[in-house]
Amino acid sequence: MGLLAFKDAAHLVSRTGLGAEWDVIKQLEGRSKQEAVEWVLNPKLSTLKSAPPMTPWLKLEPMRLTDMKSRNSAWAISQREGKRLQAWWVEQMLATRTPFLERMTLFWHNHFTSSIQKTLQPSLLYQQNLLLRRHALGSFAELLQAIARDPAMLVYLDGHQNSKDKPNENFARELLELFTIGRGYYREPDVKAATQAFTGWRVDYQTGKFVIRPAEHAGGQHTFLGKTGSFTGDAIIKILLEHPRTAENLTEKFWLAFVSNRPDQVLIRTWAQQLRQSSYDIKGLMRTVLNSDAFWMPANRGTLVKSPVELVIGTVRMLPYPRESTQEMLNLCRLLGQELFDPPNVKGWKGGEHWISTQTLLVRNAFLSKLSRGNLNEKVASGVAIPDVPAEQLVEWLLPVKPLKPLPETPGARRLVRSLLLDPAFQVT
Amino acid sequence: MNRREFMGMAALLPWLGGFPGEVLAVPARPQQRILVLVKLAGGNDGLNTLIPHADPLYYQYRPSIGVPKHRVLNIGENQGLNPYLKALKPWWDKGSMAWVQGVGYPHGTLSHFRSSDIWETAVDASQYTDTGWLGALLPECKPGLHGIAIGENSGPMAGKNCNTIAMQSPQSFLSQISLLEDIQPVATNSVLAHVTNVHHQLYAAGEQLSNKLQRPVTLGIPFSTSKLGRDLEAVAKMILTGVDAAVYMVTLDGFDTHSNQNAVQSNLLHQLAGALDSFAQAMQRGGRWNDVMLMTYSEFGRRVQENHGKGTDHGTAGVQLVMGGKVRGGLYGEPLDLSHLDSDGNPQHTVDFRTVYGTVAQRWLGQPNPWSQFGTLPFV
Repeated sequence: MGLLAFKDAAHLVSRTGLGAEWDVIKQLEGRSKQEAVEWVLNPKLSTLKSAPPMTPWLKLEPMRLTDMKSRNSAWAISQREGKRLQAWWVEQMLATRTPFLERMTLFWHNHFTSSIQKTLQPSLLYQQNLLLRRHALGSFAELLQAIARDPAMLVYLDGHQNSKDKPNENFARELLELFTIGRGYYREPDVKAATQAFTGWRVDYQTGKFVIRPAEHAGGQHTFLGKTGSFTGDAIIKILLEHPRTAENLTEKFWLAFVSNRPDQVLIRTWAQQLRQSSYDIKGLMRTVLNSDAFWMPANRGTLVKSPVELVIGTVRMLPYPRESTQEMLNLCRLLGQELFDPPNVKGWKGGEHWISTQTLLVRNAFLSKLSRGNLNEKVASGVAIPDVPAEQLVEWLLPVKPLKPLPETPGARRLVRSLLLDPAFQVT
Repeated sequence: MNRREFMGMAALLPWLGGFPGEVLAVPARPQQRILVLVKLAGGNDGLNTLIPHADPLYYQYRPSIGVPKHRVLNIGENQGLNPYLKALKPWWDKGSMAWVQGVGYPHGTLSHFRSSDIWETAVDASQYTDTGWLGALLPECKPGLHGIAIGENSGPMAGKNCNTIAMQSPQSFLSQISLLEDIQPVATNSVLAHVTNVHHQLYAAGEQLSNKLQRPVTLGIPFSTSKLGRDLEAVAKMILTGVDAAVYMVTLDGFDTHSNQNAVQSNLLHQLAGALDSFAQAMQRGGRWNDVMLMTYSEFGRRVQENHGKGTDHGTAGVQLVMGGKVRGGLYGEPLDLSHLDSDGNPQHTVDFRTVYGTVAQRWLGQPNPWSQFGTLPFV
């Protein structure tokens, strides 16, 4: 492929942004593929909305240990502030000029899951979100080391309770099963050995920050994945990063998030090897993914289901309809199965076809129908407008494949856009 | 002998041929068996629902919230109903109500969210899945519409191939579905095939539902105006109007009784009993009681020892209520042993919840039992 045609640029923007924004597509149209990919991968620094007020750890945590009344009010605070935090991210995603960074942060949130409901500490989840942002396109090795020390993660997977007297396997098990090598490549004694290695990695009660307590660390010799020694948590992480399955699992996740619903195992092994050799350079992996033939192949267009966030926030970002309130967008995402900062379980959102059931499709359709009844000509705060272009280009803009429904016979952009939004092909990208 | 058995015999008896035509107007296929799930959200306290009033330990652990023996509605085997379940006593006496005692699972988790997920997906405490226990079962059971949930929770019916509709009310559903146009499934790629297939299924279910919901039958039985009463009234209307779903689900929330439990729980149990009584009467009057099984569940039971706020904290095993024309009344499972509590103060469960699900799958829905290792119970 030489220079990007309009519909290729639309494909790149739709897969890496939040909504296929017209202006961005026009900016990339006609550039070379490599150049466009670099543009996506190297976003200008953008501003982050300031955080909502949240009660600090030190105030909230002691309330849980006293009487019932304080416990109840700690719970109420965490619920109220959790909702504010969710609203903060939604508004950040609506406003940002670097949606790719939000997509990547959401990708990592779904890999290193943590929930406001288990931790009941919204301020920790906010800190975790900042951490995921910092490392979103950096090194997975550094991200993994940082997440193992992240207070929200330590609370979410009970790592903060893991001591030599009372070992807690939760974090070690998910580290192996979900974060790195995956099921089938370790056995129970490996989980136990990893658990021992992480004993004493705690959250300091006074500050809510990560701390290593040597007195709670279980020393002694352990065997982990065939290696015997006295391991620290970092030593375990190092062994996991050297294991080919870690990079392969991660690469497959990238494939499913950006390329198609059918992973090509041969290609994945090759990319995974490159990833490992690059010291887990995430941006490098994304460069490989976005420049690959598989990414651009027509057969792979329309094979990814838009997540609720992409559907709700993306559609609002790309079209000049009067926007829903933030609360309503959060409510919609919840009904569609994606609550930010509160994934259904430690495995995160399964995604893909699992986003679509009779129940969610009813809500998806009702949302798009309600939205597209709004007056397109109305001036909206975002400043976007419907481009004045031929019908064929509106189709190429909004759908990744040919429309599945017949187009309206009466001409008019508003009617056409509504019809395209309600086409089942609008659910995919 | 119910109508189906009668019709089955009729085919063997030539002299019945003389009966007028409409008596033998056999429905094209047997009536769909229906499961109605009532989720008691928040963790219902089983020990104050089905009360072990002969166990002195019960009163020792619960000096202020224990229900006095003279107020308990004795149902034998040293168990009794909470007095606020009085409206259900006649159904017990008729033998169409079963209680499963001590239902739980190994390594019970005390988190509402996680325990609710476990109950709704039928996994071990250490495992995770996105597909509900009925979400996997129902697509094997029948084509078309599988389940209807009133409210947002349809967790047990979650699954990408399970055709479930969640509605706030039939009215809100009618307005949402009117926005959907039909589409023929395509095979462009497997993802679009799934999307269009679900779209088509949804449209078909919507067609059927809106036709029926616009002309609901009248029930002739008063329902209470509580939310649960109205929700179960809507379910009763859908069933009697002939909506073709196998499972309905409603939720009664508020069972997280950490303080002043008796006031809160009494009120909830009173609502529950009233609504279930009306529902059962409506089914009986409409001739569908033998095709319906109603079952409650809750994410966990509560701590045996009451707390300082006259409430109870999160616990593990609880009780399940099952009702229906074909239900074999009685007490199932062993009562909890209050003399052996774990380090958190919770008793050991006596029945794995998947025993109950297996019973529903095999003995009610006529499906192979995915949880056969846990066995079944003869309550139906």
